[in-house]
Amino acid sequence: MRLYALLFFSLLIAGALGIVVGSGDLADPELRDTFLKLRGFRLTAAFLAGAALAVGGVVVQGLFRNPLASPSVLGTTAGASFGGQVALLLSGLTGVSSGLVSPEMLVPIGCFLGALGALAVLLLFLRITQDLLALLLTGFVLSALFLSMSAFVTSVAQETWELGRAVVSFSLGSVSGTGPRQLAFAIPLVVTALTACWLWGRPLDLLLSGEEEAQSMGANVTGVRWWSAIWVSVLVAGAVSIGGNVGFVGLVVPHMLRPFAGTQHQRLIPAAALGGGLFLVVCDVIARVIPARSEMPLGVVTGLIGAPLFLLLLVRLRRERAYA
Amino acid sequence: MRNGEGHMGLSARSVNVSLGGRAVLHDIDLDARPGEVLALLGPNGAGKSTLLKALAGLLPYEGDIVLGDANSASLSPRARARRISYVPQRSLLRSALSVEEVVALGRYVHGGSFGGLSKNDQEAIDHALDTAHADVFRGRIFTQLSVGEQQRVLLARALASDAPILLLDEPTAALDVGEGMAVLRLIRSLAEREHTIIVVLHDLADARSTTDRALLLKEGAVVERGDTAKVVAPDPIRAVYGVRLIENARIGFEPDQDSSGEAPGA
Repeated sequence: MRLYALLFFSLLIAGALGIVVGSGDLADPELRDTFLKLRGFRLTAAFLAGAALAVGGVVVQGLFRNPLASPSVLGTTAGASFGGQVALLLSGLTGVSSGLVSPEMLVPIGCFLGALGALAVLLLFLRITQDLLALLLTGFVLSALFLSMSAFVTSVAQETWELGRAVVSFSLGSVSGTGPRQLAFAIPLVVTALTACWLWGRPLDLLLSGEEEAQSMGANVTGVRWWSAIWVSVLVAGAVSIGGNVGFVGLVVPHMLRPFAGTQHQRLIPAAALGGGLFLVVCDVIARVIPARSEMPLGVVTGLIGAPLFLLLLVRLRRERAYA
Repeated sequence: MRNGEGHMGLSARSVNVSLGGRAVLHDIDLDARPGEVLALLGPNGAGKSTLLKALAGLLPYEGDIVLGDANSASLSPRARARRISYVPQRSLLRSALSVEEVVALGRYVHGGSFGGLSKNDQEAIDHALDTAHADVFRGRIFTQLSVGEQQRVLLARALASDAPILLLDEPTAALDVGEGMAVLRLIRSLAEREHTIIVVLHDLADARSTTDRALLLKEGAVVERGDTAKVVAPDPIRAVYGVRLIENARIGFEPDQDSSGEAPGA
């Protein structure tokens, strides 16, 4: 309870900063409303993406029984980003936006398919070998593959100036331009998947003991794996579609919270949702105040904070020779 | 057993198991009854653990395995786990779950798939921890316990499911003499509570002291079956292990009457 109180309180402060801090001047009465609205969307997007990515991290760490797994390490984020770029490209080239499906809707669908594709490859791979290092390396290869395919999509998109810009800024990951329509699609996706992950918490606890023991305790192992993969894909798709193509959240946040919230999924998941949201809101505030020619992309900030934290974790894990 | 499914036995008929295209078990028949401890004996590679996993429904098999009045193959994983509980030699759990959280995993088979623990669940967890003498370390982290302590927690996890049939894979393999004796006595006391128990044992003397009946396996087939005293006897033992059995030759141990009967550190 104290953990939740602390997370809530920090979130309030970070949220207030998220509204106040920025290049625009709130004292200008004509622009104040616009600024407040934009920052409100941005704040919501950062919180939502952070919550989704952190819980996605918790679930894949349980799913693959690997403390170093996360949507970005396993290539799920890259898959989602690639899927989103393809969706953007298709909607741009064919002008689908005028038809039944708007790009705001097409991008999350593309992200979901990309994320699920990446996770499906890993799950199928898991049937061949349970080796955890091999799993991480496969995730790395998948990530690299999706990045190179994304580069191809970007190069195709460059043929039209506006499309090229849209694809590049999407792949950089930024919540600054997130609008109400994107949020309207992402919020139900993320909230549904967060709830589902919490509901799947007990079977995920069973999976921590490995396939055989989980099965002996009554878990439908295959079912739990695939459903979890689907929920993680929805989470990552929701995050990436609103500019959350950022690394390290799913890795760093669960590890920081486990010593306080415990390892049981139903206790860790709500804490990770709050903690992940807080982490990205703070990163987004930092992105605005770091002096740069234009605003620093969010993914750069999470990387700068996340990478050293990740290395610290690695050292600690080696010392403890166990999950922390 | 507190409540749950009631007493039930296990019977297997013509069970065959192949792993990687190789036949590992051939036409195994066995019957285990409530209140009895059945030992699976045999040299390394005889197929004891494979048989135990097949009985638990963890390996594909041919033949029939009947739990009480239901064919195991017709049960869902949860319904099966409500009837039969499998205790591995070591758990693959590496995460920092507390002992109580580990035992709580055994309650998954009851109640809904989703949601938390009920009052009844908590009572079952307390009862299981108490029965397995694991309540003293309930708040500790499972992975930080000794192997013997972990074994008792795994037993408590199995007991928490209230399953009437218990399968144990070499429960004393990595334990010292005191811990091993405590686990064997626990197995006996569970049989007195009308559990049906099948246990893979390496130590033939343990089998003689703890189990009622035994199945002696060699190369995936049953060589001898019946009362443990009849199975762990000179002729079958020589045929299977190639050693001569000498009665009363080894030093023996018994619980210290002055102590509480618990292993030190319990």
